[in-house]
Parts: sequence; structure tokens; C-alpha cells
Amino acid sequence: MLTLLEQLDKGTLWHSPGGIHPPGLKTTSNTQSIKRLPLAKEFIIPIPQVGDLATLTVKLNDHVLKGQMLTNGKGFTYLPVHAPTSGKIKAIEKRSSNHASGLPVLCCVIEPDGEETWTPLQADQASLLSNDAIINKIKDAGIAGMGGAAFPSHIKLNPASDINLVIINGVECEPFITSDDRLMREHANEIIDGVKIIHQLLKPQRIVIAIEDNKPQAVASMQKSIETLTLDDCKIRVTVIPTKYPSGGEKQLIQIITGNEVPSGAIPAQLGIVVHNVGTAYAIQDAVTNGKPLIERVVTLTGEQIGQPGNYWIPIGTPIKHALQHTAFQAQTQQKMIIGGPMMGYAIGELQVPILKGTNCILAPSNNEIGPDLPEQACIRCGECAVACPALLLPQQLFWHAKSEEFEKAASYHLQDCIECGCCSYVCPSDIPLVEYYRIAKSALKNVAHEKKQAEQAKLRFEARLKRLDDEKQAREAKSKAAADKRKQSMSSNDKDAVALAMARIAAKKKASAAEPGTESSTTANKKASVNAAIERAKAKKAAKAAQTDGPSVVIPSANTDTAVTDNTDVDPKKARVAAAVARAKAKKAAQANPQPEANLVSQSQISSVTATDSENTATPVIADSAEYAVVDPKKARIAAAVARAKAKKAAQANSPSSAQSTAEAVQIKTKQETTTETTDPLSSAVADNTQISEKTVIADSVDNAIVDPKKARIAAAVAKAKAKKLAQSQPKSHQPANQEVVSNDAVDNARVDTVQELSSSQPAIGTNEAPAMAELDDKKARIAAAVAKAKAKKLAQQQQKD
Amino acid sequence: MLSSILIAVAVLTAIALVFGILLGFASQKFKVEGNPIVDQAEALLPQTQCGQCGYPGCRPYAQAIANGDKINKCPPGGTATMEKLAELMGIDPQPLDEAVADNTKKVAYIREDECIGCTKCIQACPVDAILGAGKLMHTVITKDCTGCDLCVEPCPVDCIDMVEVKTDLSNWDWKLTHQPIQVLSAQQYEDKRC
Repeated sequence: MLTLLEQLDKGTLWHSPGGIHPPGLKTTSNTQSIKRLPLAKEFIIPIPQVGDLATLTVKLNDHVLKGQMLTNGKGFTYLPVHAPTSGKIKAIEKRSSNHASGLPVLCCVIEPDGEETWTPLQADQASLLSNDAIINKIKDAGIAGMGGAAFPSHIKLNPASDINLVIINGVECEPFITSDDRLMREHANEIIDGVKIIHQLLKPQRIVIAIEDNKPQAVASMQKSIETLTLDDCKIRVTVIPTKYPSGGEKQLIQIITGNEVPSGAIPAQLGIVVHNVGTAYAIQDAVTNGKPLIERVVTLTGEQIGQPGNYWIPIGTPIKHALQHTAFQAQTQQKMIIGGPMMGYAIGELQVPILKGTNCILAPSNNEIGPDLPEQACIRCGECAVACPALLLPQQLFWHAKSEEFEKAASYHLQDCIECGCCSYVCPSDIPLVEYYRIAKSALKNVAHEKKQAEQAKLRFEARLKRLDDEKQAREAKSKAAADKRKQSMSSNDKDAVALAMARIAAKKKASAAEPGTESSTTANKKASVNAAIERAKAKKAAKAAQTDGPSVVIPSANTDTAVTDNTDVDPKKARVAAAVARAKAKKAAQANPQPEANLVSQSQISSVTATDSENTATPVIADSAEYAVVDPKKARIAAAVARAKAKKAAQANSPSSAQSTAEAVQIKTKQETTTETTDPLSSAVADNTQISEKTVIADSVDNAIVDPKKARIAAAVAKAKAKKLAQSQPKSHQPANQEVVSNDAVDNARVDTVQELSSSQPAIGTNEAPAMAELDDKKARIAAAVAKAKAKKLAQQQQKD
Repeated sequence: MLSSILIAVAVLTAIALVFGILLGFASQKFKVEGNPIVDQAEALLPQTQCGQCGYPGCRPYAQAIANGDKINKCPPGGTATMEKLAELMGIDPQPLDEAVADNTKKVAYIREDECIGCTKCIQACPVDAILGAGKLMHTVITKDCTGCDLCVEPCPVDCIDMVEVKTDLSNWDWKLTHQPIQVLSAQQYEDKRC
């Protein structure tokens, strides 16, 4: 019993099942040597040619050199693509693909400059390079299997397992195609150089160059080139195999040469065998020794419709249309254009598609060569297909299930092992395009598998998300719990002390403020004090003036105020302040709640009482002094009064909106009572006369009361209001604009100062007592009150007009 | 006579005991945790986690099916899934609730210049297939999108579209008869020459 290696040396051949013997039709293209075509007008380079995940490294309008790498990428099956000629990147767009579907894919379109300038090439001697360096060179050259499947060669040259046998595939079993034949005849030495590199990488024990017996010249050429070849620990031979389709299939060839069958789903490397095409060996040699990337290949242009059939070196990316134009192609009606051979090739519908790394043949057959597709007839269960099948499948069963779309059942008949060789379709007497059914079923199964994978991934992601959300929730809960614990802890130890401290601080503050109401240290207190002084001065002046002009009648009110003040001082100042604050708050509430003029009467009175109380309150500490002042020196008092007046005016201007001032002029006369209490209009207050003064005294009285009881104060204020109104109504005619303007009576002036100051003092008083913000609120209040007053005045004016 | 009856009873009792012990042992030894039907049903479901069945995900629906719920509540799975479920459960196929004529696979697409970065779609996505951060543009990781539609509704600016997955070379189905192949006449070839 001979070992496998001995049998290989002997050239023993095994039988492979199935197969057919179609007419070769190779002589149309294999009689002339390989020629070249002129450069195309544009080259279309699909970016994802072999493997995905490629990134384009050039931009639009970039100038590229021949052999320049156009893409960058990672991934197991990634292969770079190169510029087939020098020129400009004309476009990067989607173009029809050289694929049975014709679907558009992203392409880089190069417009050649015709100069064919090479990018710098790195020529090396293979024997001096390490295996890794060689493999990198092969990968960077973008070498893919040239037999048609275009599987990246560097992967096959770097297998995980030991390789005993390398088969160089020069079978080329498909009819019409002669590119490998011509290449072996003309470039046997280069192919052998490539084989040497493969040997260096894989260190096999045997190398078999397999060639079909219909290519005697190629066999002779290869025989001649290996005669002088010696390889370390390796025997190389050319084995001629009988012509049968599909002997060139990888698995079939292995079976013929070694008698071993590659198991379903396995790759030949698991048996220690690697198969490379002769074209690939040539390209490997070109890449390693010359540094040239894979940018052109031998393509067979054949078929009766091509005037100059033969083999051509065609740059990858050349549009098929260009190749046809330069080979005297004559189209006929219903012309088929087939890429690849007649058995496994596919028809394309668009001619402006590029030649790819795996495109070994362009077939333009006449109707005599390949007839039009006949209509499909019913399967007669003759079983011819099962005999012809090289993979020992049951094509009938596959067909039934594929046709009825029971793809799972088809898969159970090992559909995946179908090599789509087309033998079954070729022998079918019913003209059933069986392979087409299998392809559909295969793609459906592939999509199902893909969907299932995606579903699994989605499930994982969903579960991961749920876990993440749960973790987040738990983390949140733990955090909040920890925070609560911490709070509790700190509360039990420190918080009580802190609270006690804060309480003590507040008490101390209160005490301090109670002890000295007008603290000199704080600016607000200063202000308050100065304002109080001003008020007192003004009052004193008023008293003095009144005494001069009106005599006893006015003295009485001043005395009244004095008494009020003295009353005030009698009452506990603290209580008074509290009462004032309450009154103020109430007034504010009322003002806010009753913006309507009707409701405002009460609020007005409240405000008036409040302002009065405030002024009186703040005045208390200084009042006695100021009164004395007034008595001692009336002159001084007058000066002070002037100053105070100016101040008051300023304050009034600041307080009252300009529009209110201008419109007020016409209305002023009728509004005196209300406005005097409001402060916004100094002019209106100027109209004040005796009645007003008397009213003031009433207010002062009410203030007196208010300190004791805010409720009483309000009542009193209301009463005062009513009185004032009555007075105003009793003398409406006397208050004419002319009259008012002319009036420059001292008493009137006094009154104005008085009222204005009363109000202006009320503001700082509040500010110092509470907060600066309160002053603003007060301002608002005053403005609202002014607006209300204006409205009232208008009403009154209208009434008067009617009267 | 009596002894033969006694023997028969004794033998039967012995046999019953032996088989009882055997069964008891088997039930302990070959005990299956959980309901295997749930796992099998879940494996058939498309895992879009879309909730169109009324359950919060595919596994809850698989559990419901195992407990006797209807098998026609999964629109993404379509009739094919329903039939597989019918086979698994050993019941008659039930037509789907709504006419799911359009069973094409879709994925979400965010019109990125309209996105305001509200993160609502991110929270809605059951498979974390949307990438983005607050006030920053979001985008869909197309390969992980299950096309469940759940992100469309929460979007306050309606910038999410469900777009059909385009056919490319990787998922083309080889239906050549459905392919618009242009058959050119000789005259047309002549015209097309440049």
C-alpha cells in the first residue's frame, strides 16, 4: 500500500463524482498571445472589493499614481484597492456593480492622465524576506484569489495548521475561459517564482500543479520551467488531469488529486491542503519581487460576437464597455453579456461596470453558442441532476423545497454544500434553472441566519439594558439611603447644638436692636435718624409759620401733634412698632387685593394711617429736641425747612412717574385730600389749606389712636377721610387751577412739606425696620395709591363738570 | 384459588412499587428547571422588544404563550413566526391581529439637524441602539436597531423616521426575475458606443 505522498509523486488520480463534459470552445481565445488594450477614459474602482470596513484615503480631485493604495482598513478579510493608472479622482459616487444584481456600490472614478506614472515600488528578493514581511507585502498588494472567488490570498498563505500539500490550480475547467492557459504558456517562470514564494511561506512536502489535459502547451511550458527547479524538502510536479467539468473546483480538485473529500463546512487547510490559482501565484511573484500591487489581470474576451477574441491584460477598474469596444464587439438582438464562464458566470445588464480582481472572462456569445433561456417545464424526476452533481447532493429535493420556499428543509438536504457549478441545470431535460433556485434559497437562509444573529444580539442588548437600569436604580437607592443615614447621624450629634447657637444669635440680635433703635454704626440707622431730624425740623417750622400767619387756630393742631407725640412716647415703643408693622402689612394686603378705585377708600385710609404711624414712631426720639429748636430759633428752622422741602421734592420726583405728574395738573385741585395722604403729587399738596391742616390734625389724632390700637386707627382714618372729603366737596369752586398756581402761601408750603415729608419718612422708616426690599414694595404701594387717587380725581372732575 | 389471587395482587403491587420508584427517581434525576417551552418560544420571537404584543418584551410574551395566550400578537415576526409558534405549541395557526402586509425590515433614522438632544428616544430604545447626550445630537446605531418603532412616538420634534433597510450586495436575494434587467438590442448597442 502506497502512502498518499508516494501516490502523489506517482501521479495517481482519483475519481470525483458527478460532473459533465460540455464543449470546451477554448480555441476561440487561446490562439493568440496576451495583448494589451489602450487606456480607458475612466476607471471605476469599487471601494469594498474584497472584505468590508475600508476607508478611502483619497479625496475628490486628488492626483493618484499608478499602484497607489486608495483605501485603508482593518478586519480579517480586508484587502486594499489600488489605482490602476495615474490620474485624477474624478468622482466618488455610487455606480452599478459588476454583480448579478447590478446594485450600485460606492466607487472611486479615476480619470487617467495617460502618463502611467508608477508610485515608488519596493522590489525585493523573496528569499531574503521574513515570512511576515512577505505576507504583509502580499496583503498590501491586495491579492485576492484570481480563480473567480476572490478570497484574500494572504489568509490562505498564513494558515493555523501545517500544510502538507499545495495544489496550484491550472485546471480552468469552464468552457471558453483560457486566461490561465495563456498565462501558463507565456509566464511559466513567473508562476514558478510565485510557487517558490508560496513554498517559502507554507513549507509543504509536495506541490502539485494540476492542469487539464486539454492544455498540452501549458503543461509543456510548466514542465519545462520546473525541470531545473529544486526546492528544499519538497517535490514539485505537474499532474495532468482528465478534462471534466467541474474539476477546477477546489474541493473537486482535492478529491481528484488526493482522493480525500473535504468535509462539509470545513476548509481544505484542515486536511493540510491549500489550493492556489496560477494567476494568484503570478500575482504573488509580481507583488513580492517587483513590488507591484494587483492592478491588472488577464481577462479572456471571447464569444462569437467579439471580433478579436483573446486574452488581454486589463487594468482592474476598466469598464467592460471599453474592453468590448476595442475588441470589435458586435451586438446582436437579445445579446447576453456574461461575466465568468457559461456555467458559473452571471449576466450583467449594464456595460459600464468595472473589471474586478476575480473577473476572468467576459463572454459575449451568439445565439448559436448559448441559446436563449427556454421556458421552465415541470420536473419529471428523471434523476439526471443527481448523477451530475459533483457534491453528491439531491438536486431534485433541493429544488422542491427551494421552490416551495421551505428553505429549512432544503438546508436539511445540505444546500450549503452546493457549489453552484450548474451541472444539474446543464443536464436538466426540463430546462429548470436549478442553480437559480438554490441561490435564492441560499440567500434566504443567509438572511434568516443574519436575522437570528441580530435577534440574539438584540436580546443580549435588551437584557444588558435591563440590568443597567436595575443597577442604576439600586445605586440610587443605596445613595439616598446613605445620605439619609448620614443626615440622621449628624442630626443626633451636632444639629441640636447648631440650632441652639442659631437661636442664641437671633436672641442677641433682637436684644441689641431693642436696646438702640437708631444705631449710628449702620448706615440705614443713620439715614433714619437724619430723616427723622428733617421731619422734626419741618414740623417745627410749620408750627412756627402757622403761629405767625394763622395764630391760635393753627397752634392747636401743632399742639395736637405734640400731644400725640407725647402720647406716643408714653406708650411702649416696641408695642407701637409692632402695631405699625401689622398695620402696614394689612394695608399692603388691602392695596394688593383691591386695585379698583371703589375699594381703595379703605386701603387709602389705612395707608395714610400707616404712614402717619411710621413717621410718628420714628420721630419719637428726636421730637422734643426739634420742638425746642423751633422755639429757640425760627430762622434756623426756616433754613432747615427749605432744605427739607428740596429733599422732599426730589423724593417726590423720584417716586412719581412723569406722566402722572403731567396729567395730574388738571386733576390736582379735586384730589387734594386723597393725594396729600399719598405723597406722589407735590403740586396737589400745595393746594392744601386750613381744611387740610385740620385734616392733618385728625390724622395725627388717628395716629395717636393707631399706636394704641390699629383697628381704632383705621376707623379714625376712615372718619378723617370722610371729613376731608366733605370739606373738599363743600369748597370745590374755590380750588381752581389758577388759584392753586398763584398760591404761594407759607402755610400752604408748610403743609406740603409736612405731607411730603411724612410720606418720604415713612419709606426709610420701613426700610430700616425691615429690609431694603420692603422700601421698594412701599414705592409700588405709593404708586398704586397715586394711580387710584388720580382715578378718583377724574371721577370727581367729571361730577363737577356735570354739576 | 385464594392464593393465586393473592399472588396476582402481590405481583401487581410489586410492579407498581417498582415503577413508582423508577418514575420518582426519574422525575428527580431529569428534572428540568423552568418551562422549556418558554425558551423555545422566545427563540422563535424576533427579539425586537417592541411591546406590540402588549407585553414588555419578547420573553414576557413567550411566557404568556406558554401559559396559553394567543400566538398572533407579534407583528414584527409576521406570519412566519406565528406558524412556527403554532407548530411549537401544537395548535392551529391563527391569523395575525392586524393585516401586517408590510413586513419589510425597517430601522430608525434621526434627522440629525432637527434633533434637539432631549434624550427621550434614548430612554425609549429597548436595545440601547441610540447614541447621544443631553442637548447634543443623537443618532441611531443602524446595525443594532431592531426597528421596533418605540423611539418615534416620544420624539418631541418628530425627527425620527422609520426607513426601509436598503438592499445591497450582502442581503440581495438573487431573485433574478425580479431584477429589472435591460435587454439591449443591437441598435441600442451601436447608439451607446462612445
